[in-house]
Amino acid sequence: MWESTSAFVAKLKALFSQRVADTAFDEEMNTHLEMLAEKYEGEGMNAREAARAARRRFGNPTLLKQRQRESRTTMFFANVWRDVRYGVRQLAKTPVFTMVCVLTLALGVGANTAVFSVMHAVLMKMLPLEDASRVFYLHTTGWPDGAFQTGDASTSFSYPIYRALREQGGGLQEVMTFIPMSTSGKVAVRVGAVAEEASGEMVSGNYFRGLGVNTALGRGFAQKDEDDHTPVVVIGDSFWATHYGRSRDALGKTLYLKSIPFTIVGIAAKGFEGTEGKMPVDLWIPLQSRPEFNAWGSPADEGMYLSQPKMWAMKLMVRIAPGISREHALAKAQGVFEQAAYTGIAPKHTGDPTYQLSFKEARQFDTEDVSFARALRILMAMVGLVLLVAMCNVVMLLMARNASRQREFSVRLALGAGRREIVRQLLTESLLLVSLGGVAAWCFAMGATHALGSWARIQSSIQPDGVVLGFTLGVLFLLALVFGLAPLRSAMSSGPELVLRSSAAASHASSQQVRAGNAVIVTQIAMCMVLLVGAGLLLGTLRNLLKTPLGQKPEGLLVFGVHPQHAHTKEESIAFFVALQQRLRTIPGVESVSMASSRPGSGWSSNNAGVTVDGHKPNGVEPGQANFRKNTVGADYFRTMGVQLVQGRDFSDADSTSAPEVLIVNETFAKKYVGTLNTVGHVLTNSKGGHPILIVGVVKDHKYTSITEEAMPMLWTVFTQGGAVSQLEVEMRTEGGDPLAMLPTIRKALAQIDPDMPLLEPMTQSAVFTQSVSQQVLFARLAGCFGVLTIVLIATGIYGTLAYRVNGRSAEIGVRMALGAQRSQVVWMVLRGSLLLTATGIAIGIPLAMAAGVGLESSLYGMKPLDPVSYASAIAGVAMVALLASIVPAGRAAAVDPLKALRAE
Amino acid sequence: MAADKSEVLQGTLDLMILKTLQALGPLHGFGIARRIEQLSEDVLTLNEGTVYTSLLRLQQKSWIGSEWGVSENNRRARFYSITKRGMKQLAVETENWERIAAVIGRVLALETKA
Repeated sequence: MWESTSAFVAKLKALFSQRVADTAFDEEMNTHLEMLAEKYEGEGMNAREAARAARRRFGNPTLLKQRQRESRTTMFFANVWRDVRYGVRQLAKTPVFTMVCVLTLALGVGANTAVFSVMHAVLMKMLPLEDASRVFYLHTTGWPDGAFQTGDASTSFSYPIYRALREQGGGLQEVMTFIPMSTSGKVAVRVGAVAEEASGEMVSGNYFRGLGVNTALGRGFAQKDEDDHTPVVVIGDSFWATHYGRSRDALGKTLYLKSIPFTIVGIAAKGFEGTEGKMPVDLWIPLQSRPEFNAWGSPADEGMYLSQPKMWAMKLMVRIAPGISREHALAKAQGVFEQAAYTGIAPKHTGDPTYQLSFKEARQFDTEDVSFARALRILMAMVGLVLLVAMCNVVMLLMARNASRQREFSVRLALGAGRREIVRQLLTESLLLVSLGGVAAWCFAMGATHALGSWARIQSSIQPDGVVLGFTLGVLFLLALVFGLAPLRSAMSSGPELVLRSSAAASHASSQQVRAGNAVIVTQIAMCMVLLVGAGLLLGTLRNLLKTPLGQKPEGLLVFGVHPQHAHTKEESIAFFVALQQRLRTIPGVESVSMASSRPGSGWSSNNAGVTVDGHKPNGVEPGQANFRKNTVGADYFRTMGVQLVQGRDFSDADSTSAPEVLIVNETFAKKYVGTLNTVGHVLTNSKGGHPILIVGVVKDHKYTSITEEAMPMLWTVFTQGGAVSQLEVEMRTEGGDPLAMLPTIRKALAQIDPDMPLLEPMTQSAVFTQSVSQQVLFARLAGCFGVLTIVLIATGIYGTLAYRVNGRSAEIGVRMALGAQRSQVVWMVLRGSLLLTATGIAIGIPLAMAAGVGLESSLYGMKPLDPVSYASAIAGVAMVALLASIVPAGRAAAVDPLKALRAE
Repeated sequence: MAADKSEVLQGTLDLMILKTLQALGPLHGFGIARRIEQLSEDVLTLNEGTVYTSLLRLQQKSWIGSEWGVSENNRRARFYSITKRGMKQLAVETENWERIAAVIGRVLALETKA
C-alpha cells in the first residue's frame, strides 16, 4: 500500500519535471556507454569496436528512453486530457444534441434545486443558532377563560408564565421572550429626517446569549437592560448596511422608535435575522415599560403586558439545559405552566381542559401554516415529475446517440483500441455533459430561487441548496452512466468485424433497445399527463379566483395604516383620527376618505359571537352560537369602498361619540339572524341583552378577508363610538390616475401632524386583494410553466427518438417501397408506432392524474378534481404534440428513395 | 504469459540490485552492472539498460535514493544508495527467496517413483 502511494506521488511529481528528468537520464546513459566502451578498450578493442560492443551490451537506448519516460510518470492524466479533448470535439460536432441536453439538464435540475431550496429553508432549515438542537419554540393548545390574547393563539403567553418558567423551569437553561412591536411586526423608526417602518422586536435580556447568537460589533443585551428597560437597540446586519453603510461609527448613534431615542449598542451577527421566519427582523430592544411599547402595539388602556397577568402576548423560546432530555424538560415546564397560567384570574374549574405545552424545533419558520407547507410539497412533486421527464429525455438522447455510434466504436476496436479506452471515453463524455448541465443549472437555480422566494413573499435571504444540486447531479450522472453505457455491450459484442458488414445490418437497432426506448417514452407521456391535468386544474382555480366578484370597487382606492405616536387615551385617539379624516379630505384629488381597523383583503378579521335581536334569540339561533365578523370603520366607509347599500344609510360624521350608537349589517347577517332584509330599525344587543345598538343600514355581501372566503354574517360599527384605537387603515378614493401618485402629498400632510409617524404599508386596495391570492397565483403560474416545459421536453424526446429510428430503418423502408409499399403506408407505419405509444402513455397517465387531482383538491377553488375540461385539454395537448413531433420523421421516412437506399447497401 | 516471465525476472533484478547496494554502499548504474556481471560469472547475461528501469522502479517505491556525484575516473554520475525501507524490504525478499528456492530445490530433488 505504502509503496504504491509513494510510487504514485513520485509519478505525480515527475509529471511536472519531464524535461529535466529526460536530460538527466540521457547524461546517465551516455556516461554508462562511455565507461563501458573504456572498459572494452582496456581489454584490447579499438575505439570503434569498443563503442559498438558497449551499445550491444547496453541495449536499445531509444527504446529504453521511451520505456523510462512511460514508467517515470503516469499516463493517466495525459489520457484523461486526451479523452476530454476528444469528448469536447464530439459534443461540438453535434451542437444541437449538446445544447438540448444541457438546457434540459439546466431546466430540470435547476428548477428542482430552486424549489427544494425554498422548501428546505421553510420546512427544514434550523435557525443559525449555537447548538440549535437544544432550542425550541414554545407552543400551547390554549389559554384559560378570563385571559385574553394578542398575536397568534398558539404562541402567546403571559408575563407571569414567562417569569415562572425562568425561575422554576428546572430543565430549562434559558427562557427567552420576543414580542413584535405591532401586529404587522413593524415599528415607526427614524434614523435621519425620514420616518419609516422597520420590523422590530422587544426581547428579554438573555435573548442573544440564550439563542447563542453573537454580535458582529458591540454587545448584545444583559439582564440589567431588561430589568431597567434601558433605551438601547441592537440592529441587524441588513439594517446596518442600508442605514449606516456598515460603518463602525453606527455604535453609539441614536435612532428614534416611536419618537423615543434609543442608542445603538450592538450589531447582530450576519445571517441572524430573528426567529420570525418570513419577516427578517431589523432591530431588537430590551423589554420596555412605556405605554407606547405595549406588546403588539396594543392600546395601553387594555393593560400593559408587564403588569396585566390576563394579557397573553409574549412569544417564548427555550434552551434546554445540557444533559436533560426534551421530554423531561417539557414535563417540568408543563407543571410550572399549569400553575402560572391562572395567575390573576379565577382558578381552574374542575372539568376545564388542561392546556398542553409543546416544544417545536427551532427551524427557520415556526409555521403552523399547513397550507403553505402543502403548497410547497405539491410544487416539489410537480418539479420532481419535470425532472423525471427531463432525465428520461437526456437518457434517451444519450442512448440514441451512443447506439448510432456503433460503427465508430467498431472502427476504433478494429484499430486496436481497448474496451477500457472506449468505456473511459464514454464516461468522460457523459461527465462533460452533466458538468455543463450542472453549471447551467446552478445559474438557473440562483435566479429561480430568488424569484420563488419573493413570489412566496419570503423576505429572508434564501440561497440555492448546494447539497441538493450535488445530489441531483449525482443521480443524473449515474443514470447517464447506466443508460449511456447500456448500448456499449451490443456495440462491442459485435466486435471489430462490424466494420466489414453492410450498413443496414450494422445500424439495425436491437429489439431490446427499441423496447427500452418505448418504455421511456410511455413513462414520459404518462408523467406529462399528470402535470398537464394538474396545471389545468390550478389554472382553472386561478381563473375562478380572478373573476370572483368582490362586491366592491377596489380600483382607484389607496390604503395605508396610521399609528398615532402620542395618543394614549381613548379620547385622544378618537380625536386624532377624526381630525386626520377631516385633514385628508381637504387634499385635492381626494374623492372620499374613510378608515377601518382591519384592512379588507389582508386576511385580518375580528371574529365574534353572541348577539340578540330586539332582545330575542336571533332567528332561532342560540345567542352564544350566533357567530359573526366585525370591523370598526369610519364615516363614508361604504361609499369610499364602493359597496352597494341595500337599505338605510352609510355611516356619517354625525355618528359621533355623543350620538346614539349605530351599526350596519350585511345581507347574510340580515337573512340569517333577523330573517328579513328589511332590517333597519331593529336593535342588536349583546348575548346578555345589554348594550343596545340600532341597525341603520344593510349592505350587499362583499369580500372581507380574502377572495376565497364564503359570505359570512358581518356587522360594522363606527370607531368614534368604540374604545381606544391604536391604529386604523385609511381608505382613500382618488380621482383618476394611479392612486399611489398621491403618496408624496399624503406623506407631507402627515409629517405636518407628526414627523415621527410613517405611512404603514401603503398600497392600492386592488393590490391587497391580489396579494391575498398571490400563493395561488404563484402556484398556478408555476404549474403552467412546468406544463409547457414538459410538453417541450416530450416533443423533443419523441422527435429525437423517432428521427433516429427512421434513419436506422431507411434500408428496410427502401426495400418495402421497392416491393410496392405506398408512401402513405410508410407514413402510417411510423405514425402508428408513435400514436400507439402516446395512447398507452395517456391510458397510464389518466389514473395517475386522478390520484394527483385528489391530492390537489384542497388547493382548488371552484374546480372539481375530475374537471373534464382539464382532462380533455391535457389529452388533446399530449396527442397533438406527439403527432406534431412524429410528422417530420414520418415525412422523412416517406421521402426515402428506394433506389438510393438499396444502392447504399 | 510473456509478461509473467519478465515480472519474475524483474523481481530478481530488483533483489540483486538491492543486495548489491546494501553490500557495497552507494554505486552508480555502471558499477551495479559490473558487480552483477562479476557475481553471475557470465551465467546471466543482461541488457545493462534494464538496470536503469529497475533503479527507477526501486526509487519510486522509496527503497533506494540517489544523488549526483563524481565517479572514480572523474565523471559526473548518479550514485544510488539503499534506504531504511529498502533494507527492510531486502530482508523480507531475501527470506521469501530462500523459502521459495528451498521449496523448488526439494521439488526438483524428488526422485521418480520406481
